[in-house]
Amino acid sequence: MGSGRTLRLIGFVTWFNVRMLLTSEFFILLTFISPLIFATLGFFLFRSGGGTGGHTLLYVALGAGMMGVWSTTLFGCGGAIAWQRWEGTLELLVNAPTRYDFILVGQTFGAVLFGFYGIVATLVWGVLLFGMPIEATYPLILPLSLVAAIVSLGSLGMLIATTFVLYRHANALGNLLEYPIWLITGLLVPVATLPLWVKPLSWLLAPTWGMEAIRGATIGADPPTLAIVMCFALAVVYYLAARITLVFVLAKARRDATLSLQ
Amino acid sequence: MESLDIKRDSAENDDSMTGLQDPPISPPAPEPSPAVPPHPTPSSRPSGHAIEAIDLVRTYRTHTGVIRRKPMEVEAVKGVSFQVEPGELFGLLGPNGAGKTTTIKMLITLLLPTSGTARVMGFDVVRDTTDVRRRIGYVFGGDRGLYDRVSGIDNLRYFAELYGVEPSEQRRRIGALLELVGLTGRENEKVEGYSRGMRQRLHIARGLLHDPEVIFMDEPSIGLDPVGARELRHTVRSLVDAGKTVLLTTHYMFEADALCDRIAVINAGRIVALGTGADLKDAIAERTIVEIETFGVTDEAVERLRRDDDVSAINMEERDQSQILLVQSDRGAHITQRLLSLLGDTRVGKVVAREPTLEDAYVHLIATTGDDEARAARAASVQ
Repeated sequence: MGSGRTLRLIGFVTWFNVRMLLTSEFFILLTFISPLIFATLGFFLFRSGGGTGGHTLLYVALGAGMMGVWSTTLFGCGGAIAWQRWEGTLELLVNAPTRYDFILVGQTFGAVLFGFYGIVATLVWGVLLFGMPIEATYPLILPLSLVAAIVSLGSLGMLIATTFVLYRHANALGNLLEYPIWLITGLLVPVATLPLWVKPLSWLLAPTWGMEAIRGATIGADPPTLAIVMCFALAVVYYLAARITLVFVLAKARRDATLSLQ
Repeated sequence: MESLDIKRDSAENDDSMTGLQDPPISPPAPEPSPAVPPHPTPSSRPSGHAIEAIDLVRTYRTHTGVIRRKPMEVEAVKGVSFQVEPGELFGLLGPNGAGKTTTIKMLITLLLPTSGTARVMGFDVVRDTTDVRRRIGYVFGGDRGLYDRVSGIDNLRYFAELYGVEPSEQRRRIGALLELVGLTGRENEKVEGYSRGMRQRLHIARGLLHDPEVIFMDEPSIGLDPVGARELRHTVRSLVDAGKTVLLTTHYMFEADALCDRIAVINAGRIVALGTGADLKDAIAERTIVEIETFGVTDEAVERLRRDDDVSAINMEERDQSQILLVQSDRGAHITQRLLSLLGDTRVGKVVAREPTLEDAYVHLIATTGDDEARAARAASVQ
C-alpha cells in the first residue's frame, strides 16, 4: 500500500468518525452548544470588566471557540476509544492488518475537525449578538494558523488516546484534563498573566500555540510565525511519542488481555 | 476414520505448567511501516497445516478484594496442541470457561501465549502478527463488534478499508457478501435495528471482506433462534465448500456434530478428546443412558447416585416443574432399579434407558476430565 492508499485510509477513518460523532446527542450538544455558552459568559464577563473593545470581544470569542475545540478533542478521541471498547469494535480495529496508528490519526482528526466548528460558531454568535467586528490582521496567514492548530491538537489528542486503548477507565482521567488545559493554555486568560512556574507547562501544550497562532493572525501586532512553527514541531513530537507509546500499549494489551474489557 | 485420542489429566501435563508466570514469551516485533505491507512468505518453519498450536498456555493475572488486593493467577489454557488442515472445518467444543475463546484469541494474535507456539498458514502468531492478520477472518457471536449507529453497508465499507480491500474491489465484494449472508435490501438500515440473526450475518460478512484463507468463529450461533442457527450452519458449510479453513468454537454438541470434520473437546484448559463425531460416540458406545424424570430431587439424592460405583457420570437438566437426570453407566439397563431405590422418596416420572448420543459422550468427557477444581465445581453444580 502506497502513501496514496494510506491517505485514503486516514481520510476514510476521519470521515467515518465524524459520521459516528454526529450520531451522538451528547457530542452534538458538547460541540454545538457549549462554545456558545462559553462565549456568552466571556462576553458578559469582559463587558462588566470594562473590556468592550472590538479586539477584546474577538479575543474572547476565539478563546471560547478553542475551549470547545479542546473539549471536543478530548471527548472525541478518548470517548471514541471508550465507546469502541464498549461496542466490542476496538479488538477488531487493533486486529486489522492495517497499522493502528493510522486508524487513530483518522479518528483523532475527525474529532478535531468537528470541534473547529466551535470557532466559527462563536464568531458568528459574537457578530450577531454582541456586534463584534470580524477582522484579521494577517488574513493570508490565518488559514495556515488554523491548519497548524488542527494538526497540533490532533496529534495531542492521538497521544492522549493511546492511553485510552490500554486503560478502560482512562475516560475518567481524560475528563480531569478539560478545565486545567483551558486555564493554563491561554484560552480563558492570557498565558502572560499565569504564575511563572505554570508557563513552561503551557509551552509544552498544543492549545497554547494553536490559540496563539489564530489570535496572532486575527488580532496580533506581528505575524504568529513562532506559534505556527511550534504547532508543527509539537505535532511531530506528539505523533512520534504516540507511535512509540502505541507499540508498548498494544504489546501490553495483548499481554494483559485488556482490549475486550468493558 | 481418524482414531480417537482421549487425554486425561496427568502429572506430565501438570509439570508442563510449573514455572509459568508472566504471559509473553517474547515481545512482539514493531509494526512495519506501510499501512498494509506486501505479502511475504512464511518466515517460520512451513508446516503445511492451516493452523498449528503446540503446547499453548495462557495465564491471566487478576486479583481479589478492593482495598487489600490479593493477586492471583488463573490458568485459562494449559498446554493445548492441535493441527487444522487447509480446507478443514474444525470444532473446538467445550463448556463455558473451558478456554475456547482464550485459545482462539491467541491464534488470531489478540493475546500473547504465556508459553507454547502457534502458527496460522505458517506464520507465527507472536512474531508475524500482520501476516497472520492478513490471512484470517474473525467472527464472534453476540451483540458486540459492530457500529450500531450507522448502517450495515457503512460498517462493511469501513472494515473493507481497514482490511486493505482494494477500492476498485470494495463495491463488488460487499455486494457479493451481502448476497451470501442474505442481507441484500437491508444493508442501508441502521445496525441498531437489526435482529440478532441479521447482526450475526453482518459479522460473517465483515469477517470475509478481505477474502481470508482461515476463518475463526467464536460461538457464532449464540443467541440465534433455530432457523437463524440453521442458516448460519448452512453459510459456514458453504465457506468450507469454497475451500476456506474454519475453526469454530461452540458449546452446542449438535452444532459441532452437524458441521465439523473433526472436533476437539476442551475442558478446564486442556484438550480432552480429539476426533470425528463418530469417534467421540464410539468412546461410550457400550454405555447405557438412563433418563429419569424427577420432581423436587434433593442434593443428597443426586449425590447418592453420583457416588454409586456403577455410575460413570450424571448430568441434570432443569425443566419447568421437573428435573431430568441423565445417568451414564456401563451396566446396561439393569442398573435402573438400583438408581430408583437410591433416589429414595423422590417423586419420579418417566424413566427411559437408551443408547448414548454424541451429547452424552460430551457430558461424559466433561464429567471425567479436567482438574480437581473443575470437577468439584461441576459436582457442586449438579447438586
